[in-house]
Amino acid sequence: MPDKKASIIGATLRRELARMKSRPMYFILTLGIMSFCYIFFISFFSEGQLMKMPVGIIDHDNSKISRQFCRNLDATQQARIVMKLSNFKDARVEMQKGNIYAFVEIEKGFSEKLQSNKRPPITFYINDAFLTAGSLLLKDISAMSLLTSGGVQQKVLRAKGVDESLIPGIVQPISIDSHMIGNPWSNYSDYFLNVFFPGVLEFVILMTTVFVIGIEFKERTSRNWLRTANNSFSRALIGKLLPYTAIFICLGFLSNIILFGYLHFPLNSSLFWMLLATVFYVIACQAVGLLIIGTLPVLRDSVSIVMIYGMFGFTFTGFTFPIEQMAYPVRIFSYIYPIRHYFNIYVNQALHGVDIRYSFGSYVILLAFILLPAIIFFRLKKAAIYQNYPIK
Amino acid sequence: MKITRFPRIKRLKSNIKDTFDIFVNEMKMISHDRGVVVIFILAVLAYPLLYSLVYKNETLANLPVAVVDNSRSHESTELIRHLNATPEVDVFSTYSSLYDAQKAFNQRLVNGVIYIPEDFGKNINTGQKANISVYCDMSSFLYYRTVLQATNHVVLDMGKDIQVKRLGEQGITGESAKIITEPVPYNDVVLYNETAGYASFLVPAVLILILYQTLFFGITILAGTAREENRFHALVSSSVHKGKTLRVVLGKSAAYFIIYLAWSIYVLKVIPQLFSLPHLGDSIDIIGLVVPFLLASIFFAMTISVFLPNRETGMLVFGIFSLILLFLGGVSWPYYNMNGFWKAFGWIFPSTHGIQGYIKINTLGADIQTISKEYHTLWLQALIYLLLCVWAYHWQIKKSLANARVRQMVSHKREIARNESDEQTNTTKNSNAQS
Repeated sequence: MPDKKASIIGATLRRELARMKSRPMYFILTLGIMSFCYIFFISFFSEGQLMKMPVGIIDHDNSKISRQFCRNLDATQQARIVMKLSNFKDARVEMQKGNIYAFVEIEKGFSEKLQSNKRPPITFYINDAFLTAGSLLLKDISAMSLLTSGGVQQKVLRAKGVDESLIPGIVQPISIDSHMIGNPWSNYSDYFLNVFFPGVLEFVILMTTVFVIGIEFKERTSRNWLRTANNSFSRALIGKLLPYTAIFICLGFLSNIILFGYLHFPLNSSLFWMLLATVFYVIACQAVGLLIIGTLPVLRDSVSIVMIYGMFGFTFTGFTFPIEQMAYPVRIFSYIYPIRHYFNIYVNQALHGVDIRYSFGSYVILLAFILLPAIIFFRLKKAAIYQNYPIK
Repeated sequence: MKITRFPRIKRLKSNIKDTFDIFVNEMKMISHDRGVVVIFILAVLAYPLLYSLVYKNETLANLPVAVVDNSRSHESTELIRHLNATPEVDVFSTYSSLYDAQKAFNQRLVNGVIYIPEDFGKNINTGQKANISVYCDMSSFLYYRTVLQATNHVVLDMGKDIQVKRLGEQGITGESAKIITEPVPYNDVVLYNETAGYASFLVPAVLILILYQTLFFGITILAGTAREENRFHALVSSSVHKGKTLRVVLGKSAAYFIIYLAWSIYVLKVIPQLFSLPHLGDSIDIIGLVVPFLLASIFFAMTISVFLPNRETGMLVFGIFSLILLFLGGVSWPYYNMNGFWKAFGWIFPSTHGIQGYIKINTLGADIQTISKEYHTLWLQALIYLLLCVWAYHWQIKKSLANARVRQMVSHKREIARNESDEQTNTTKNSNAQS
């Protein structure tokens, strides 16, 4: 008897493999999109960190000190002075054009005032419409100006005859050491890629699952599909989806190899836990795909739903804007996304390297997604037999 | 003169009528197709609302942090009190060891740990430099920024008071103390998106993408359906085009353009005001940008749709492009710092220039002259994609005409054959009758 079961699944499997070869769409969906995204995201973020963003300068003083200030600013990690401007209006237009993300205005007589202790101000104008660029530049420019003031302070205090051992305590009474837990280099691509690879995978799995089943309804071949599986719908489903499970688990493993092997992103616990999460994740995504096509066994409608559901997946991962800071009713939606639970495991295991028991709940929820297709099992089976849904 | 002018006007009239017929026909196709209605109407209506709602809270507030107070001094208590008073963070709990705080962090109860070492109070009282450590949750960049911002703020404030006191001990007061505490006062002025809001930063780009992608998917669905329903897998049925490509392209695109011009006002003007996102842009400038943006997007989508065989192909293959186009738009990774190849690749898509142009008008208050680069690029794209679209449709129409001709020939031959066989039977009948 088990032999017979296996051979039925085998027959469905062979049928599916033949279908996969029959048109390019299968190849594009399973391997094409994912390969493109690997190449795109890796090369797009290849710099790792945002550096040398364009900054403008309005130097009304044009003295030795102000020029020194510009050179110092240019030498910082994030800023590069790309243009000298003559007035505020021009600078603002350049900012509106997107040619500079910040500019600095040094007033006339700056160095004279500084030397005669008249506290001349320096003004920084930042554009936070491009938030990442703006906040990084602000951080860099503030740090530099603190350093500049620090130098002047030391000089003055020494001149006043203050004891050398007391100077640091006066210049900076309290200092801060900041530590980034698990991600010491503040590498930008680390953030993005660890979410985008699984995120794109989720999207592709949903589309593929909906497509491979939906196309049977659209082309009215679902009875043939059932017949191949000897009219056992569960075996028909297993035989159909198994090849994709295998392909996507391989792609998921490849993501992990790229992230933690090739790109050397921090992995603070065993790779095993990430691979296990990947396996659960792939199956959970397929289950959601089945739920969608089972609820609406019409290819074109299901594809639209995947589109809407899938795009919000990136939002509800909670890595850009944290979930618990979103408005309350919206927050609930994060639970219906496998990627949210995968992301929790990633944060706990790879980033924070905490004990596995903290992630236990997320693994269980991922596994629980497998129960979802039970809701639509008979509905989908009926649709396969009676073909009672419109093809358009 | 009259004689030569008259037929020209007549021809022009009939051309306009043809174009109008195609326009009406396309409007019918749109309204009768459930899938397209969902995309063209429902998605454009709901998506901007959903995105704005999700990101309604622009910045993080009351972020829970753990404090490890090993100093247990008057000064450390003051630091904690100040920290708790910031809008950004809330002190979740005070722990006696880093180990305990780490446990709370591992359970994800707190998003940061602030460690005050034993010598903190002593250092402040003896005129030494004191130090604290901040450990930040890096699972989101916003955690890091918010926790650090709050502690920086508190530490700078406390530091100023200590500075004044210490200078006083050295006999330096008044103006000269001021000179030492802040020899170069620096003002940072955030010109646009002053609150550093996340929605103000992301949603404008998403709004443009919603217009762009729904337009793209709607057009590919319509083209795929036309192809599926046509007997010869041709994009345009011969009853519609009558062999005239330009009329087909203009008639169809006019239908999309009119629908989306109306939507643009809702998406790009009403939504930002409704959710108090930045809306510095002048309506005329926005419309000035939207016209070439929509034309370029429509012709681009129509060109691509020629190569997509089925109704769902567009969404299956290009669904994930929504995300990629967001990055190519140069918002989260600044356009200036983008890798040269991807910059060039991004240039192809009207959405890139649409996003840049719209943010500059809407968020930075630029006018159409200031964004002339985006404006002219979009017009250039509109022209290029119109030409490509006409060429692609022409190719399709020729194909369908050829198919029709083949069909005609086949049926004609059949008819001849039938007639011949009829004649034969007739002759045989006749001969039979004769015999």
